[in-house]
Amino acid sequence: MIRSDIIRGHLDSIILRLILEEDRYGYEISKEISLRTDNRFQIKEATLYAVFQRLEKKELIEAYIGNVSQGGKRKYYKITLLGKAYLKELVEEWNEVKEIIDLFMEGLK
Amino acid sequence: MKRLKNHVEELFKDIPESEQKKAIKQEVLENLEEKVWDLMEQGKEEEDAINKAIVDFGDIEEIKMELGVKQPTKKNMTKLNLGYSVWGSLLIIALFIFINVSYSPETIWFVYPTFAVLWWPLTMYFHWQRSK
Repeated sequence: MIRSDIIRGHLDSIILRLILEEDRYGYEISKEISLRTDNRFQIKEATLYAVFQRLEKKELIEAYIGNVSQGGKRKYYKITLLGKAYLKELVEEWNEVKEIIDLFMEGLK
Repeated sequence: MKRLKNHVEELFKDIPESEQKKAIKQEVLENLEEKVWDLMEQGKEEEDAINKAIVDFGDIEEIKMELGVKQPTKKNMTKLNLGYSVWGSLLIIALFIFINVSYSPETIWFVYPTFAVLWWPLTMYFHWQRSK
């Protein structure tokens, strides 16, 4: 499995992106991350709930209790307007970072 | 499942009680239970599934930090140490002066042990300055 400290700084982006697609709850998000990365990256639950707390405090996401038709009374998260704007910024920043790092990493074996 | 609940209780026991703590504990427990069901559906024994869920959980410290639980800070004792060393060395020096004056007033020898003893408060002073 990949070193998680490099990904750690981008967990906000990953989780915001997943919540942007649709409202989701905790376990669903950790499952989705494992699924999409083909188990190459697994998020620890403790990390996940810490990120939820942080994002909620910054009003980037909102929690609500889902109804039974959604499949149980779980705590769902939805992204706020502020969250969307923040995610957009993160994406731009990441593209910039990627270009810069690639300057040095590409072409080497 | 009782074991899972106990484990979550154990994880959160150092965090002071609050509505927020109750909510997050509830959320964590529900999600972990679902994970255990999921793992059992994939053919794991309940025992194994619970173990895996617990191991995968990771370090509770991260949540504590977000909930603003203060890490206990070590109290700074260097000033107290300095005070103790000053009074202690004064007493020792006074004792030397007393012995010197009452038993051998013709030679002044108390300065030698005095210099030796002064290293003690000097060290503590250095320690106190450095800790600021």
